[in-house]
Amino acid sequence: MDTVALLLTLRLALVTTGILLVLAVPLAYWLAFTGSRAKVLVQAVCALPIVLPPTVLGFYLLVALGPRTAFGRILTHFLGHPLAFSFAGLVVGSVIYSLPFAVQPLTAGFAAVDRSMLDAATTLGSGRWDRMRRVVLPLSRGSLLTASVLSFAHTIGEFGVVLMIGGNLPGATRTLSIALYDQVQDFQYAQANRTALFLLAICLVALMLLYSLRTESRPRSADLV
Amino acid sequence: MSEASIPDEVLSDSPPPAASLTPWLTIHLEHRFQSNGAGFHLHLAFSAYAQRTVVFGPSGSGKSSLLRAIAGLIKPDVATIQFHGTTVCNTIEVGGQQRIYIPAEKRRVGLVMQSPAVFPHLTVSGNVAFALHGQDRSAQKQKISQLLEIVEAESLAARWPRELSGGQLQRIAIARTLAAEPTILLLDEPFAALDAPSRQRISNNLHQWARERGIPVLTVTHNLEEVFAAGDEVLTMEEGRVMAQGTPERVLSMQRDRLLHALHAIPAPFPEKTSLPPESDRAV
Repeated sequence: MDTVALLLTLRLALVTTGILLVLAVPLAYWLAFTGSRAKVLVQAVCALPIVLPPTVLGFYLLVALGPRTAFGRILTHFLGHPLAFSFAGLVVGSVIYSLPFAVQPLTAGFAAVDRSMLDAATTLGSGRWDRMRRVVLPLSRGSLLTASVLSFAHTIGEFGVVLMIGGNLPGATRTLSIALYDQVQDFQYAQANRTALFLLAICLVALMLLYSLRTESRPRSADLV
Repeated sequence: MSEASIPDEVLSDSPPPAASLTPWLTIHLEHRFQSNGAGFHLHLAFSAYAQRTVVFGPSGSGKSSLLRAIAGLIKPDVATIQFHGTTVCNTIEVGGQQRIYIPAEKRRVGLVMQSPAVFPHLTVSGNVAFALHGQDRSAQKQKISQLLEIVEAESLAARWPRELSGGQLQRIAIARTLAAEPTILLLDEPFAALDAPSRQRISNNLHQWARERGIPVLTVTHNLEEVFAAGDEVLTMEEGRVMAQGTPERVLSMQRDRLLHALHAIPAPFPEKTSLPPESDRAV
């Protein structure tokens, strides 16, 4: 097992999940409650990574972050190195690639909150962000959990975007899925088997955890009055 | 929608208030919306002076929508709403008047809805403390206890909403609303799930609490008993319009006269028997 690649993958998944939650919560809140005409466009853009080939996304990100664009040059100037082929570049790619896996469950969860709860909070003096913090988020704990687990598991398993943006630099951008690809290319099937099993186990355990916690958090029918 | 479409104020049969007296609520409202798949037109104007005012009318007459507009939960098409002479909503920009819309969270209007909407992720104490956010813990505790006493729910403080009955949830919703120290209290069928003795006691406690603080109360009901129990002044509503305003006795007698009048207009179900013409006139 390539422990350096393993640690890098876990670090990437944790950082991506953290950033995604910070970005996706306000975005999903806006999507759940807005009446804006721009909603459909924003929804479509957020869902794009689900249908877009990861290599297409990776290619455009590579171009955007590279030295040939003004944006890439500004980033390079501030960071001191190009974002492409770096861990930071991988994070940017992963956040965009896993965005729908955070935004969609959160939007569905927020939209399902009973409107009368929001009306009650409003007449009690609670403003938009206060309602989100004190009513919507606590009532959407299941959706937050789903968004976190799906973002984490999806980042663990990503390949195309990572390869396009990060290349295959050991210790910097070589994640477990790329290590697995290398092992197969080198005919190291025993090692490849261990890596693949490990990736499978992580994703399976994450989903089992998600389903067990969601079942526990749901009120039992006997509790309902 | 034009300014002219706002209805004239409903003529009250009660004596006109003293010139110096400012109504606690003045409302001119025009709002069209969809309700149960059909279009509904809320079209009314009135001023409320009495500390305890009741809006009485059948289900679907627009009573709850009126309360939601006053509280700021509905943004009306055309409206002017004033609390104690201060404009909280003005959609018409004429004669130097400015457009004003104070959002619901800043109106300080307490609204107890038909559905109690008690937060399921907070205990009873947590629900009542929702509006006391940022206050000192001991002051919060004391206030929660006082408010739960008003709704006779002191023993429920540590319970979760899922453990409570519909009537208990309504009591908690009332206590939670009072905690926000509203300047106007709107009650939408607040005692519907309570048994008659509890309803009487809690209604008395609530009105006493409001009277001590000079807070006007507007109660919406389709229960005739409540009109007399909770109203110094009553407005009747039908199909989005205010039909009458005055003391409960006067308005209900007017309503009775109107109903009797309507009764006379109903054609007789069976035509009266017409007598046959005299035999001499019959054709042979």
